Amino acid sequence: MIYRIDKLIHRYGGQTVLRVEDLGIARGSLIGLVGPNGSGKSTLLRLLALLESPSEGVIQFNRAGDQESARQARFQVTLLNQEPYLLKRSVLENVTYGLRVRGETALLRVRAEQALRWVGLEPERFLQRRWYELSGGEAQRVALAARLVLQPRVLLLDEPIANVDGDSAQRIQEAVLRARRQWGTTLVISSHDWYWLFEVCDTVLHLVKGRLIGSGVENIVPGPWERRPDGFWSKRLDDGQEIVLLGAPHEGAVAVIGSDQVAVAPGAEAAAVVQPDTIPQVRLTGTLSRLSLERATGFVFATVVVANQIMFTAKVSPEQLGGAPLYPGRRVTVSFPSAGKWLA
Amino acid sequence: MHKFFKIAAMGLELLLVIAGLTAVAAAQDKVLQMATTTSTDNTGLLDDLAPKFKAATGIELRWVAVGTGKALELGKNCDVDVLLVHAPGAEKQFVADGYGVDRTQLMYNDFVIMGPRNDPAGVKGKKVAEALKVFAEKKVPFMSRGDNSGTHKLELALWRQNGISGIDQEPWYVQTGQGMLATINVAAERGGYTLTDRGTFIKYEDTMKGDPPLVILVEGDDQLFNQYSAMAVSPAKCPKAQYDLAKQFIHWMASPAAQKAIGDFKLLGKPLFTANAR
Amino acid sequence: MQYLIDGLITAIQLLLSGHPETYSAVAATLTVSSYAMLASLSIGIPLGFLLGYYDFPGKRAIRTLVDTCLAFPTVLIGLLVYAFISRRGPLGEFGLLFSLTAIAIGQTILALPVVIALTATAMESLDRQLRLTLLTLGARGRQLLWTSIWEARYGVLAATMNAYGRVLTEVGISMMVGGNIKWHTRTITTAIALETGKGEFAMGIALGLVLMSIAFLVNLALAVLRKRA
Repeated sequence: MIYRIDKLIHRYGGQTVLRVEDLGIARGSLIGLVGPNGSGKSTLLRLLALLESPSEGVIQFNRAGDQESARQARFQVTLLNQEPYLLKRSVLENVTYGLRVRGETALLRVRAEQALRWVGLEPERFLQRRWYELSGGEAQRVALAARLVLQPRVLLLDEPIANVDGDSAQRIQEAVLRARRQWGTTLVISSHDWYWLFEVCDTVLHLVKGRLIGSGVENIVPGPWERRPDGFWSKRLDDGQEIVLLGAPHEGAVAVIGSDQVAVAPGAEAAAVVQPDTIPQVRLTGTLSRLSLERATGFVFATVVVANQIMFTAKVSPEQLGGAPLYPGRRVTVSFPSAGKWLA
Repeated sequence: MHKFFKIAAMGLELLLVIAGLTAVAAAQDKVLQMATTTSTDNTGLLDDLAPKFKAATGIELRWVAVGTGKALELGKNCDVDVLLVHAPGAEKQFVADGYGVDRTQLMYNDFVIMGPRNDPAGVKGKKVAEALKVFAEKKVPFMSRGDNSGTHKLELALWRQNGISGIDQEPWYVQTGQGMLATINVAAERGGYTLTDRGTFIKYEDTMKGDPPLVILVEGDDQLFNQYSAMAVSPAKCPKAQYDLAKQFIHWMASPAAQKAIGDFKLLGKPLFTANAR
Repeated sequence: MQYLIDGLITAIQLLLSGHPETYSAVAATLTVSSYAMLASLSIGIPLGFLLGYYDFPGKRAIRTLVDTCLAFPTVLIGLLVYAFISRRGPLGEFGLLFSLTAIAIGQTILALPVVIALTATAMESLDRQLRLTLLTLGARGRQLLWTSIWEARYGVLAATMNAYGRVLTEVGISMMVGGNIKWHTRTITTAIALETGKGEFAMGIALGLVLMSIAFLVNLALAVLRKRA
């Protein structure tokens, strides 16, 4: 394990923003981080970069103690921010900054050129450019090159493609995977684009309100919930549909439904439902918006948009796909058990 | 952090070194620091005499030209070695208070009252006493320097001597708080009268290309006498003052050679001073 | 209007003919302003950096004090410096009064608040991302500081240009502690004051134009520097 996190709690100004009981990250693995804004992804990455100390708990890097971890991490761990940010100097100087900080002076230019090629930027055209002569995507690529050139042990990426154009996004993704292939760099990437993460990552961690709620794809249904006379909790959607669940701790709670719990069937009727009718089911109609492959398992994720306000993702087996005609744009029914997990 | 305090300290040291060097350099030549008045400096007499003084004694004369009040203040603070002013009342007080010694009369020029060419107040050719009474009674615009200078002190003395008082807040009595030429310009703008030394008038006339809007209307009255004297700053009060250099200056200024030079001095072709050292 | 035209013609004549009094004033101005800038930058930039970059109790109060000093009238500075270096004053024995050094000291006091305040602002305007970026690339301690200062260099350059403008054009200090002594402490600005006091407006304007030319050349040089940096 290159990282071992133990009973970590982190606070900003009295508010708890992150809580991780126990997490290990294996050397050379590729970890994805998903979650809505404000869920603590950036905080976790900053803590993994050892740029800040957690309010409580321990992050062990390389099995070293507190101070030693920070000391070792200095030259082995590097973080790429969401907003492309460069120093006010030329591309060459930006890319070689980290090297010069480490006291390395040999072959700076050659190494910079190589790093630029990794991110798909032609050295001849870009090496001498000034920081203001780059587009957002190009700047982010240069920033990445500045980190790749260090051949870091750990590369942390906070929404690396959130603010860049499509071409840059692709290059960034390629460069990052190459780093892992070539040097065995451990990668931790947070992103909204969980499709891509699921395609490439060994594990995807889901963060909601500062808590890790397991790996895999979870469906999140936030409140407000209304308590019904029969003890169930109901949430009304804009198109009149209703989600009825059991056991909400309070009306502001967040319901968590695993994608393996969700079934999807074509048509607006609850026709062929695979689950046995032992527990009451929630049935909702919506439109299938996306199908994507989880490479590791061969399962397919089907994303359905319900009432134009909630997305549900169902994990569908290849056999099921073969049977029912599911394609984006089709009206479908999603169903899942009424007894779900809750997040306070 | 230490690095920055080091740099700041270096900057400060640099400044002090420069200060030291300057002081040392200054100490090498014989330099006599004098305070005189703006109007004296403006006559150009000192520019004429200074090289002659240096040739005769090897002393370099440096002077600051400020108002009389300030010149005396500089003398009291020991910032200068010798004074050359023209305010006998204040000078005598200065000596009486022990700040100055060896007060020596050197030369005189005169003051004149100037006003608009067409003389609306009708004071041309009158004596000073009469003219001032006219100004006060007819509430004629009169510009005063109001800056505690020699000229200003003389002007105040004239009002006093001639029994006119309480005009300080009168609207027709304008105190500019500035130098002579600035005050003359204000008078020209407002069509008013003012008291000036002849030297400044000569210059003013020249800049107006011989056709000034204001001309001399009252002159020759012995109340308008402007006596210049030099005083050495008292070595008792100011131990660091270069008393012997000051003495040499005063002695030279009263010498026949210098007195002749003073009398021969012409401002724009017109004579200005009468040498009267005894 | 006539003054302006006469002034322009006179200015060119003075410069081309090598008029000794004018060039003496130019030399005096350049000397004092250069010394003042050197001193105020070397003291002010580090202080401004400390004020802007770090957080400490009383930071707001000190910043307010510095900002207030920006409104220090030059005649008042001149008066205060005079009080110190006059023979009667605590630093009297150095005989600094009526020297270029005295003017330089006064002008340093004038420029310091400008340099400190604007440098502090430049440091505070640094992107928050800068610190994180530098840390994650491995910079620590002195590297972190120097790189941060360099990143703020445009702000510091602006501080310099601003301070230089103040110093070059002031007359209150030069007059009070320099004494406007011909050939020795007569700067362009005190010469302008003298000429206008004598009613020689055209000459005053001429000297003013000479001053502006100097200011222009210096700012041009700084602009080139800015481009290169």
